[in-house]
Amino acid sequence: MAAKDYDHLFKLLIIGDSGVGKSSLLLRFADNMFSGSYITTIGVDFKIRKINADGEMVKLQIWDTAGQERFRTITSTYYRGTHGVIVVYDVTSADTFVNVKRWLHEIDQNCDDVVRILVGNKDDDPERKVVEKDDAMKFAEQMGIQVFETSAKDNKNVEEVFNAITSMVLRQKKEQQAKASEQSGAIKVKKDKKKSGRRKFC
Amino acid sequence: MVTTESKLDDLALDMFGMPGFAPSPTIHTSLSTASLTASDEADKSATNSPALPRRSFLPTSVGARDGFIKLHMAARETEYTHVNKLKIFVGSWNVNGQSPAEDVTPWLACDQDPPDVFCLGFQELDLSAETLIKNITPREDEWLKLAEQGLHPKAQYTKVKTIRLVGILLMVFVKNKYLSFVTEVDAETVATGIMGLMGNKGGVAIRMLIHNTSICFVNSHLAAHTEEFERRNQDYRDILSKLEFNGSEGSPSIVDHDAVFWLGDLNYRISDMDTDVVRSLADTGQYEELLVNDQLIKQKNEKKCFKGFQEGNIKFKPTYKYDPGTDNWDTSEKGRAPAWCDRILWRGTQVKQLEYRSHNKLKISDHKPVSCLFEVGVKVVNIAQERQVMEDVIRTLDRRENDNLPQVRLGRTEIIFKDVQFLEKQTATLDIVNTGQVPAQFAFIAKLDETEHCKPWLTVKPCMGIILEGSTKQVCLTVYVDKESARALNSGDEKLEDILVLHLEGGKDFFVSVSGNYQPSVFGSSIEALVRMYGPIREVPVATLVNLEHINLSNPSTSSDNEPLEIPKELWLLTDHLFKCGMRQENILRQSGFEKDLEDIRTHLDCCRGAGSVYSIAEALLIFLEALPEPVIPYAFYQRALECCNNYMLCKQLIFQMPQSHRNVFTYISSFLRELLLNSNDNKLDAKTLATLFGTLFLRAPRNKEAGLSKRTVNQLTQKKARFMYHFLVNEFGSDLI
Repeated sequence: MAAKDYDHLFKLLIIGDSGVGKSSLLLRFADNMFSGSYITTIGVDFKIRKINADGEMVKLQIWDTAGQERFRTITSTYYRGTHGVIVVYDVTSADTFVNVKRWLHEIDQNCDDVVRILVGNKDDDPERKVVEKDDAMKFAEQMGIQVFETSAKDNKNVEEVFNAITSMVLRQKKEQQAKASEQSGAIKVKKDKKKSGRRKFC
Repeated sequence: MVTTESKLDDLALDMFGMPGFAPSPTIHTSLSTASLTASDEADKSATNSPALPRRSFLPTSVGARDGFIKLHMAARETEYTHVNKLKIFVGSWNVNGQSPAEDVTPWLACDQDPPDVFCLGFQELDLSAETLIKNITPREDEWLKLAEQGLHPKAQYTKVKTIRLVGILLMVFVKNKYLSFVTEVDAETVATGIMGLMGNKGGVAIRMLIHNTSICFVNSHLAAHTEEFERRNQDYRDILSKLEFNGSEGSPSIVDHDAVFWLGDLNYRISDMDTDVVRSLADTGQYEELLVNDQLIKQKNEKKCFKGFQEGNIKFKPTYKYDPGTDNWDTSEKGRAPAWCDRILWRGTQVKQLEYRSHNKLKISDHKPVSCLFEVGVKVVNIAQERQVMEDVIRTLDRRENDNLPQVRLGRTEIIFKDVQFLEKQTATLDIVNTGQVPAQFAFIAKLDETEHCKPWLTVKPCMGIILEGSTKQVCLTVYVDKESARALNSGDEKLEDILVLHLEGGKDFFVSVSGNYQPSVFGSSIEALVRMYGPIREVPVATLVNLEHINLSNPSTSSDNEPLEIPKELWLLTDHLFKCGMRQENILRQSGFEKDLEDIRTHLDCCRGAGSVYSIAEALLIFLEALPEPVIPYAFYQRALECCNNYMLCKQLIFQMPQSHRNVFTYISSFLRELLLNSNDNKLDAKTLATLFGTLFLRAPRNKEAGLSKRTVNQLTQKKARFMYHFLVNEFGSDLI
């Protein structure tokens, strides 16, 4: 059998307030493009990209969701089966940072076991920046997640975000597999014992 | 292991699924092969599908993409490889079963510079019957040792692989410095001897990659005897077709390699010449005359064997057959004619033959060894460049996959209906333009835990379809509030608001917001609310309407300060008009009215404007009664009414127990109906008809209680309702009750 073009397939989800740059991050990562004009996402879109993570080929299917409040109940449907969630805020808007907590809560409501990462986008103009890195880091630490400051416009840290979350998902998958095989191994031993016990009676 | 893992991944994909939607048998799967997405896996996972239940009809092309990266990498090989020249020494010797007791350096170390690779083939290693049957011989190790000792002294070599079939032995050595670049080594054998099975004849082969170039060495001993050249051709073809290696990408055969070297005792002879003539021409070095009759050259020219292979010019004495230990031609009884049995051929664009020669100093066998020195260009990979090209290839493929996702543009994502009235159709259109590179299959899908793709007051047509590239599909959205949806909208429990999910199969989802401003109507309002409205409904503030609709039916008086009307004034308006103008009208209440009139009557009742024909007013009356959220005989009395339908006394008792306003309406309408019956000569109505009609209107089963009943049961129920009603049409009843 010929080999597949990838070893793993992961679904990632990008969420966050409307206008923080979720679609721009996806466009930058998948197509290496940036568009200055703002088009609200009314729905959910996805793109794919394959990357090399720890020597393995991972195919990412990245879903970009509408951030508008009125769509929130619908978009929550798309959380299912997600391996990793990228929560985005806008470093030039304190409100979007405040809302991160709500988005994290949204993840807890809809996902069981998912890798999360926090991204402060639009980090390309120090004059307009209002969410300081220290504050973001402090908050992220409390929440137990990693935080990145990015700029889809300047292509800053975008690759790093996706590489980081992919590695985390991959690691989680490996750990789960190891655990599963450990358990099945234990069951096997038990069974064998039973068998040999019976044999004595024969 | 790898396959199991990828299967797990497929399952994982299923779980989060490329969303598919509720199955539709009309959808064509064949249209969608263009997609490169891995969406078909989602297909198998109906059970695991997310809240938006989806099904994919785009078959995945993961299979089709298998090896795409490899294909593209191979096409761009020159971008990340450069050619390194290696010297490869290829030697062949039929040792006639002799034990290895001779210095082989004149054969193997005859070149000034040490070659980079040695490939040595032996035939007739051991002629014993035991070897033939059991395929084991001590000679293998002995010759291996001797060969290792005889390799070029100016370099260090390591054995890569040996393979033996009875007496046919092949060994490959490389210079130590190249050892780490040798990969994917494999060896195979094919026997073509007695019965096509025995290993006394046949071929052995070793393949390997040196850097990025695949190389195959074949050592064969083909059928003997001068006249048997056809057999030899056949042996060659058998080896070529039967030999298969285990490679990382399938099972490469001999000719699948960048460079092939075929050596051995091929046993082709010189035909049609006397032994003496051959010997004298050979002795005087007149090889060209002999080569004209060389079977291999002739057969090869006739394309009977070694198609695509090349052989260098032979400028050495025939290598067969000598008296062992001498350079003398065969003096045995058989007196064999000399021949170039031992040959080396090659194929491959990067191969250049530098030398082709025999080695007469070696005398223990009846054959002389031959050898070739080749210069072979091998492709050396620059790892950094390769990675770069690889990344580029992957990005290109990914971009193609993204480009091949279905794409559409919507004319709008926000549809707003202005004022929507009861029983009024309004239609808006939505343009879906396929802006992508593949046909787009769309469907409006149910969201969350809903079962339908839109609210009951909305219809979407078509709700699924296929749009070809560049085409546009117009979807009609029609809002129509009927008596079912009017109740919740009047009561403010629901609003004219919906979000549709437009799903592209194998692609994105769009959200389309639909909203409208519903105009509350007396149709669909409850008796309790209407008896508390003193002016037209349109003049009642929305908040008051909502409050009025939530009056507790069992205890209505507490929730209102003002004295309620005896019956809804709208009901009185309708009935009174019929009383004045329609009592003698033929088929009144049975013939339908006019749509336009009904609109006017609705407006009249809602806003106190306009009116219409008596037929329309009659129909409006029926619609009004039908649209009551709580029927004239409240749900709570429904079952009892059916049970007592044969007993007028019990029926009357039941009417007494109903809430005041409902009782008033009932009494009012029944006395109106009795009045109607007085004019039955003109209006052609009879008590049974009216009893059936109004029995059904007044006695409605609590919602969904009687869904799915058999026709017979429904008929029985209708009869009971009519019987109930009949009492009140034929008995003087009521005025004293109000």
